[in-house]
Amino acid sequence: MNTPRAPLAGIRIADFTIHAAGPFCTHLLSQLGAECIKIESRTRPDAFRKPHAVYGRMQAATFDQVSANKLSVRLNLKHPEAAALARRLVAISDVAAESFRPGVMKRLGLDFDALREVRPDVVMLSLSSSGQSGPDSHFAGYAPLFGAWGGLGWMTGYRDGPPVEMRHVMDHSAGMHAALATLAALHQRRRTGRGQHVDLAAREVASAMVGDALVQASIGQQPERLGNGDAAMAPHGVYATAQPDRWLTLAVRGEPDWQALQRVLGQSADDARFATPEGRRQHRDALDALVAGWLRGRDADATAQALQAAGVCAHVSWTMQDVADDPHLRARGATTQVSAPDIPPRLAVGAPARFSRTPEVGIRRLTPALGQDEDYVFGELLGLDSAQRADLERREVIL
Amino acid sequence: MPSKDVTPSIDQPLAGCRVVERSRSVAAAYAGRLLAAMGARVVMLEPEGGSALRHAPPWLEGSGESALFAYLAVGKRSRVCNPATPQGRELLLAELAQADILIDDTPLRERAGQGLAPEELSGRFPQLVHVSVLPFGASGPKAHWDAEEVNLLHAGGEGYLLPNGLSNEMFPDRPPLKIHGHFCGYQGGASAAMSALAAWWAVPAQGGQYVDVSVQDAALAVGAFALQRLGDGSLEHRASRRFRYGGVFQTQDGYLELLTLEDRQWQGLVELLGRPAWAQDAALADPLERSRRGDELNQHIRAWMAQHRTDDIVRRAQELGVPAAKYRTPEEVVHGEHEAARGLFGQARLPGGGEAQVLVAPFQFRCTLLGRGGAVPALDELTRETDA
Repeated sequence: MNTPRAPLAGIRIADFTIHAAGPFCTHLLSQLGAECIKIESRTRPDAFRKPHAVYGRMQAATFDQVSANKLSVRLNLKHPEAAALARRLVAISDVAAESFRPGVMKRLGLDFDALREVRPDVVMLSLSSSGQSGPDSHFAGYAPLFGAWGGLGWMTGYRDGPPVEMRHVMDHSAGMHAALATLAALHQRRRTGRGQHVDLAAREVASAMVGDALVQASIGQQPERLGNGDAAMAPHGVYATAQPDRWLTLAVRGEPDWQALQRVLGQSADDARFATPEGRRQHRDALDALVAGWLRGRDADATAQALQAAGVCAHVSWTMQDVADDPHLRARGATTQVSAPDIPPRLAVGAPARFSRTPEVGIRRLTPALGQDEDYVFGELLGLDSAQRADLERREVIL
Repeated sequence: MPSKDVTPSIDQPLAGCRVVERSRSVAAAYAGRLLAAMGARVVMLEPEGGSALRHAPPWLEGSGESALFAYLAVGKRSRVCNPATPQGRELLLAELAQADILIDDTPLRERAGQGLAPEELSGRFPQLVHVSVLPFGASGPKAHWDAEEVNLLHAGGEGYLLPNGLSNEMFPDRPPLKIHGHFCGYQGGASAAMSALAAWWAVPAQGGQYVDVSVQDAALAVGAFALQRLGDGSLEHRASRRFRYGGVFQTQDGYLELLTLEDRQWQGLVELLGRPAWAQDAALADPLERSRRGDELNQHIRAWMAQHRTDDIVRRAQELGVPAAKYRTPEEVVHGEHEAARGLFGQARLPGGGEAQVLVAPFQFRCTLLGRGGAVPALDELTRETDA
């Protein structure tokens, strides 16, 4: 395989992850240059190869972001010979990543102790809803449940409404934190020569998103749900503009911003209640109504531009079409066009950051076909000849 | 990699790693915090008067100290440094000479005047990983734009899509709703820390380098699925982005989340509900049919949920393999049995003399446990310690 000029070039990952959070983790590491070998099977293919009806996707995905860059091999892990091949793969990998419920990898003979026997310095990532230990460790869960358990869902919501469920951003946030922890474990291995088992509980990532509220709760306070408000900034929120469903977000930090806001909008708050930052905070509801009136008839995009030019934090509430059309994100490589013979040109999320000396970070290959890289992985890396592979297929070890 | 002039004394993942942090944003401070939690020595270089984050909400009753700052700064060290002055510049360079990683969120227009331009630093410190963390990044047409959390959540596309589910059903005409706190700032921080460690990994082969991280990029990255859906021809909207059935349910005494994606989970749900007649419809064995009739299913499920207590539902659901979770308050999380068993929190000493529990880190290392708790540094405490 070609070695990209990327920071993690030379790192190899045996990727057993499923669903969204774990695959996003290994996708990030692959964007950073790691070679990621995705292990699945015809009987247990990745979720993107199937319809996802509860999410409203009634057929398989044509392109799957979190599978991009990855190599695909088939192994029927319930077969002992397949598990043995998986261990051989781990023996030539730096990282083994999985996101099954705790206990599954042990049943497959692929738990940390088993993998350490074949690769003593292996870095293993186990990503799960509630972690590898603790009374809830067996709990099943998805992104909205992580948010519910962790406290983020409760703290998010209108003041007079129910809690709000987190969606894929919660999965992927867990995946990003997992990628970070995996990298830290690799550094530890480089320094000490020892392996590590990283245990990421996605619900604890949700808790990390309300870390300040948890500090408050620990001393007996009851943190307040703020909706679109902010305890220090006023006005602050999301406001209607002249175009239907085209909202302007606004965060006024202090007196200079407040003066600039009035200047740009050609308005003056002739009200003693709003003369000081303290007054504006104290009367934030009345202030919000005033500012909402100022903004209701304005063009959202032009107003955001004008406010930014005056140093005020403002941005339009963007749809994904706005994101796709944005030249700034394209210029940064944060969005990138991808295409393949069976995939018309479309946009994907690209490099997570820009690196000055290792610039080949990003998407290098698209979604792999099931088992498309077995010549390289089973043939070149594991040294299986074609007769051996045919025999393994016949006996449904490779399936 | 081994760090300069430092012998790792504790077997933490990042023992020996030295980080200099200049932060006024949650993103940069969280990046440093994550590295500190894993054993790096993180020195905050603060302006005279201290970082603005020391005064950021929410505040602790009694002392008025910032709970946010306590969370973000525990385990770090503090030194006052104004690199716009000759003495400050000298101090900055002395710190960087010992550092592996610099995390900096100084606005672009101020960098040259403070000796923080990337080309200047890479010339002086060729092994340094210099991570810039800005709302819209350090390059591109909007690099000079400024933003707070509410702006970034909407610049990344997720803000427009919230709330969905029950909250949107109840309040369809209200403005989109922000995720609590600093969700995007935390994504930017995690991305910066991850990118820092990736670049540090490459130092032996490539030397140091400049890494440009954008909070907007990070927010978009975690929301990648919506861009994928756009490529599939579907422009998502908060009113339509909802689970066909499942979601947030009000119970007799609170709220819970329920989501069944697999057939066996649906079967478990039917069992949980007591095998009602409506669920015996053979057509509902087809997951696509269930999705088509999601509203009808949810009405039945809601009626049942309202008659039962959250803890009873969740306990039975999990026994049956049905993914269900209580919407827990911060108080319930901080006193949670599961969290206690996993050692999620540690005791932190606050600058004012008080103590509080602080989340250690959102990951564990099972071979070498992370240190828990520590001190939230008083302003410039490192200088005073050195002088003494």
